[in-house]
Amino acid sequence: MGILGVIVISLFAAMLTRLWYLQVLAAPTLSVEAQNNGVRLIATEAPRGRILDRTGKVIVDNRVVNAVTLSRDDAKRQPELLARLSPLLGASVEDLTKRVNDDRFSPFKPVPLVEDVPKETLIYLKEHQAEFPGVDGVQLTQRNYPNGTVAAHLLGYVGQINDTELEAREDDDYKAGDTIGKSGVEQAYEDDLRGRPSVEKLEVDSKGNVLRTLGVQPAVQGNDLQLGIDLEVQALAEESLQQGLETARRSADRLTGERFAAPAGSVVVLDPNNGSVVAMASYPTFDPKDFVDGISQAKFAQLQDPAGFFPLNNRALQGLYAPGSTFKLVSALAALQEGLIQPRDTVVDTGSITVGGQIFRNAKSKPNGRIDLTRAMTVSSDVFFYEIGKNFWEARGRFGPAAIQEAARSLGMGEPTGIELPFEGEGRVPDPESRKKTHDANPTAFPTRDWFTGDNMNLAVGQGDLVVSPVQLANAYAAFANGGTVYAPRVASAVLDPSGQVVRKIDTQTQRTVDLPPSVRAPLLAGFEGAVADPDGTAFAAFQGFPLEEFSVAGKTGTAEVAGKQDSALFSAIAPVEAPRFSVTVVMEQSGFGASAAAPVARRVLEKLAGVEPTPVNRVGGSD
Amino acid sequence: MVAPTLRGSRPVRGTTRELAAPWRHVDFVLVGAVLLISCLSLLMIYSATRNQQAATELGGTYYLKRQAAYLAIGLVVMAVVALVDYRSLPALAPFLYAATIIVLLLVVSPLGATKRGSQAWFQLGNFQLEPSEFAKGAMIVVLSAYIAQHRSDLDGRRLATLLGLIAVPLLLIYRQPDLGTAMVFIGILLALLLVGGAKPRHLAALLLLGVLAAGTVIQLGVLKEYQVDRLSAFLDPAGDSQRTTYNLRQSQIAIAAGGVVGRGVFEGSQTNLSFVPEQHTDFIFTAVAEELGFIGAVTLMGLFAIVVWRTWRSAVLSRDRFGTLVCVGILAMFVFQVFENVGMTMGITPIAGIPLPLMSYGGSSTVATFIAVGLVLNVHMRRFT
Repeated sequence: MGILGVIVISLFAAMLTRLWYLQVLAAPTLSVEAQNNGVRLIATEAPRGRILDRTGKVIVDNRVVNAVTLSRDDAKRQPELLARLSPLLGASVEDLTKRVNDDRFSPFKPVPLVEDVPKETLIYLKEHQAEFPGVDGVQLTQRNYPNGTVAAHLLGYVGQINDTELEAREDDDYKAGDTIGKSGVEQAYEDDLRGRPSVEKLEVDSKGNVLRTLGVQPAVQGNDLQLGIDLEVQALAEESLQQGLETARRSADRLTGERFAAPAGSVVVLDPNNGSVVAMASYPTFDPKDFVDGISQAKFAQLQDPAGFFPLNNRALQGLYAPGSTFKLVSALAALQEGLIQPRDTVVDTGSITVGGQIFRNAKSKPNGRIDLTRAMTVSSDVFFYEIGKNFWEARGRFGPAAIQEAARSLGMGEPTGIELPFEGEGRVPDPESRKKTHDANPTAFPTRDWFTGDNMNLAVGQGDLVVSPVQLANAYAAFANGGTVYAPRVASAVLDPSGQVVRKIDTQTQRTVDLPPSVRAPLLAGFEGAVADPDGTAFAAFQGFPLEEFSVAGKTGTAEVAGKQDSALFSAIAPVEAPRFSVTVVMEQSGFGASAAAPVARRVLEKLAGVEPTPVNRVGGSD
Repeated sequence: MVAPTLRGSRPVRGTTRELAAPWRHVDFVLVGAVLLISCLSLLMIYSATRNQQAATELGGTYYLKRQAAYLAIGLVVMAVVALVDYRSLPALAPFLYAATIIVLLLVVSPLGATKRGSQAWFQLGNFQLEPSEFAKGAMIVVLSAYIAQHRSDLDGRRLATLLGLIAVPLLLIYRQPDLGTAMVFIGILLALLLVGGAKPRHLAALLLLGVLAAGTVIQLGVLKEYQVDRLSAFLDPAGDSQRTTYNLRQSQIAIAAGGVVGRGVFEGSQTNLSFVPEQHTDFIFTAVAEELGFIGAVTLMGLFAIVVWRTWRSAVLSRDRFGTLVCVGILAMFVFQVFENVGMTMGITPIAGIPLPLMSYGGSSTVATFIAVGLVLNVHMRRFT
């Protein structure tokens, strides 16, 4: 019996020890868990902030929509309820069932069955409450686009958060089913626009039945975002681009007789003084409204169809194009900065130049006679710049093997401009080094390893492997306009709280500076002015009737050959010349000469910027 | 035995024979402790079920009323058991044994009812009768009778007979399956052998055999997966909270939530919100611990300790070997169940479906426990006759 006694006493001692541990020593940590056990947090998203243009006009706001909700218990109790709701709500029973079972909606709250229901339907349901138990109406806020598709690419769209985004933002209070910006400023300024969800604290039992509400933390609306965009200029730029492309499609390429495809293009307007984006258009475009309730499969497939030329892509950032003669800014800059030529040096342009048995021609082989740099820019002589390319390569011992490329990079080409929008393209500035690398990486696809004189000549006129994005091009001209400061372009200018107070200014950011003494800048600027104002200038025809005396424009046309496609048309301009406030770049795919297609589009945008009545886009003759 | 001395100022009347009358020696300390535990049981069962049940048509007091009824029946049965001289029991042992086996066979036959995977009940109208609860007491009497008959001279053959006797009901209960009650049988057997005079080497061999058998059973997969899970969950409490360890985790959270003074009756969130499964039956201790705290839990343990002490005392005071052994068997049953049940809610013993004596909701277990208490009172009362 003694042994039994010892056993009994030790068993009781063990129990008491453990009880002491659990209730006295470990109690503080474990009892917190007990409190959380019965508590559920229900978050409801706050309305997103609005997006405003530079003058405060609303580009995106929210509207309140009526949604019909159904409690899951009632849906389970009365399976035929959905069938009766289906005709009223205009949704199939299948879709409604899917909604009821959708786990992105909290199990503790009624499920929204259909959003944006007409008021009459809601009234009908309320009047017949007895027939529709568990059915209720709530008001939700949804993204609203009062200006339709205007600035679609810039704004981007919102959609349901996906697993990758959820994982990336696991520290924030996102949950499955939440709305998140998917592109454009909606994505770039997600944190400002989102606001703070309301959180309801509910006490539930172990079966998930809600017993009572413990507290509510109200939602905080997202902050507004003010953009540097001028809504009117933006709308006009989009309209002008579309007009230009449509006009191009009605014209034929004189060499082949084929009509231009002109499927896509973009317009960028920057303020050279701070890099602010005034307008940024991309064609084809899309309607951000389609994404509001969750885009349909069919619609999304359509947006992804190559035959539609990918309307979701913002070509101003993502499109990469050979810049053609617009690149002569860079070649000339390199030549003057390095001292390869002096401003007054001349070349006799016979319309072509033969190097190593290969003939390099001007557009239409047009001879321009004895010309200096300014004149070469005005008439867009290729021969003059072929000479520069050739001479740079031949004197590479003195100037290095990549003098032009260095100038291009100094103006921000070949790397992202640093604009705050996502998905920006880098572009490509090829040099002997990169040529070697790409060949070594894939000898079959890139059979040439060496860099030849011809490559340097092509580079000097913006051809070859060189590609830039429209925003890079506009930014390079902006840097030229402001005397050498390369800014990271900025779409947004300030974050405002709902009362309109500035929460945070979005500062301009200087990426680098380029040395642009008057001796370098003046002859180039004169050349660009001539291109628009001189009767021999390539853009003269496009600017006939433009009030240049009040609002002087300097610009450069460009026509880029693209293997297997019709030429890209480009035009870059800065205005007004004396104190530039705008850098405008137009790029149009498969549209012919820049002078014929792109310059007229830029002219219409510049008319708006100059404050005169914009004239319809007219295709004009030209070379380059 | 020492002759009793009278206390107090009552005049001496009658003979020694009268002084030794059983009714003069009812152990009121034991009865008092048992009644206190029973009252606490009613309170805690009500607390653990009132919220859940309030919403149903049965109403919030459903379990409370039923348990009160079981308690009343238990008290009557206890009195009856105490009145019938326990010394008449050894003669009835063979019949008791046969009846136990037959009833256990019947319950695994189509006559028995299945609930939560165990075929361990007879459905009698609105009541479920669980024979294994009564089998424990019956086997205590049977084994004690056998050991007493042989004057504690347990040689190898008699030991084998004992093992054979207990093996039949044990296997039948294990087949139900009710692993927990089967384990209680082993506890009772070991205690009886220890006190009944088994040879140390026999006991050692039995323990070794038991450990080997347990290992083999787990290795060979004779146990169902959930049984292994339950048995091992307490070794790895941070494991999957959705399955077996959910019970364990929730019950430990509940116990810890009580702290020193508890959260107050009807105030425990784990208890009110029904987070602890089976809280009015196997996990009733968590309700005590959460709502009455360390102080309340220790008080309950103290009451249990009084019951154990009084049983122990009866075993020692018994005038015959059979009475001692019956009390020892009951003590073993009681201590094993308390330790296993309370231990499981705190994560120091495996989870097994054993009720907490006198606390858990359940008619069979309540009445069976009162029978056991009645037997202890019986032995105590008749220590002079």
